[in-house]
Amino acid sequence: MNHEDRVKIFLALYSISRSDLKKMPRLERIEYKPVSVRELFLEMKNLSELMIDLAYSAALFNDKELAEDIFELENRVDTLTYLLEMEIMIAARDAEDAQALAGVSKVASAADKISDAAADIAAIVTQNIGINPIVSEGFEKVEERLTRAKVVEGSILIGKQIDELDLAARMGVDIIAIRRNKDWILDPEDTERTRAGDILIARGAPSGIKEFKELVEGKRRKLED
Amino acid sequence: MPRKRLKHFEEIVERFVELKNTSELMMDLAYSSVLLNSRELAEDVQRLEDHMDKLHTDFELLVLSSRFRPEEAKGFLGLIRLGVVAEKIADAAAEIAEVVLRGIEPHPVLKLAIEEAEETVTYVQVTGNSPLANKTLREARIPKETGMWVLAIRRQNKWIRPKPHTEMKPEDVLIASGYAEGEEELKKLASP
Repeated sequence: MNHEDRVKIFLALYSISRSDLKKMPRLERIEYKPVSVRELFLEMKNLSELMIDLAYSAALFNDKELAEDIFELENRVDTLTYLLEMEIMIAARDAEDAQALAGVSKVASAADKISDAAADIAAIVTQNIGINPIVSEGFEKVEERLTRAKVVEGSILIGKQIDELDLAARMGVDIIAIRRNKDWILDPEDTERTRAGDILIARGAPSGIKEFKELVEGKRRKLED
Repeated sequence: MPRKRLKHFEEIVERFVELKNTSELMMDLAYSSVLLNSRELAEDVQRLEDHMDKLHTDFELLVLSSRFRPEEAKGFLGLIRLGVVAEKIADAAAEIAEVVLRGIEPHPVLKLAIEEAEETVTYVQVTGNSPLANKTLREARIPKETGMWVLAIRRQNKWIRPKPHTEMKPEDVLIASGYAEGEEELKKLASP
């Protein structure tokens, strides 16, 4: 049977059209590379925690861009889960190892479940279900919210270190993650400098968040004390 | 909007915040229980799981008793879904804690994960004369002062997920992790 025949059978079997096939997400092939289990584990932990925070904000404030970020992070957690499982398999030499490593594997799969839960929340936004508006308004009064903002060319934040900006003391805002091209920097170091094009994810009270967004987007040109 | 209806919405918000924070707190504590190999924290997660089931049912009943028009249904469906997800997160957290409670010795690869192997978990009570009383976590700068990190705050029967603006009150129990030296310093600070 040639390739074309196989494709035809596959399409018929799952009753999908050829144009649907193009729309299907291309899943990445994950190749083994040695990575420290500590790093994988901590990254999964940090990512899944960040995703949950982002997801609730996306749902409650109907933020589609934030929701898209979550789907992207979800893919990354999937990749990390595979890599962690591979490390576990390689580390197991005997029955005792297997017993101990089963726990690590269980924790990894739970972290994956948490990230799936975050994607479920994001889907509330992307499927246009939404949250009752009176509830989200009420929520905004009692909880901090997260926001994302893209650093524009000419923003006064460019090139400055995070500790130098001292956003926490100035406006009660903390930068919790930076998306730089395809990379995510979680919980950035105080010495990290912001660059044009960075997408900053920050947490804070509504008034501080507004000021922060204006600074990032170049609409406000002065850092007030 | 009539006052009674407004009150109903306020209650939904309040219950939802509790549901959300409890699930997130469980997740934080569960991860910490693995990293610190702490049975105590893992047991706290299991206790919270029972509490969570009740919170979730109460929340669903409250949302469903909202008396809404068909065109408003979507917004309430969104709320129900949020509740389901919070429950999912709590279940995953309980699974993580279960690994610790089964008492399997952490494998060397995970021990590498626990780089700071001497880190411990400590429970301290804030007394009325403590400099921490009635201060927010941001003001208190506990990590700078003691090297300890506050994971959770227990206030009578309530559990609070610490945020920078969270205020510590007399009689609160702080659950914190860090090195053994920091433990003593935190104790001195919390109950002088």
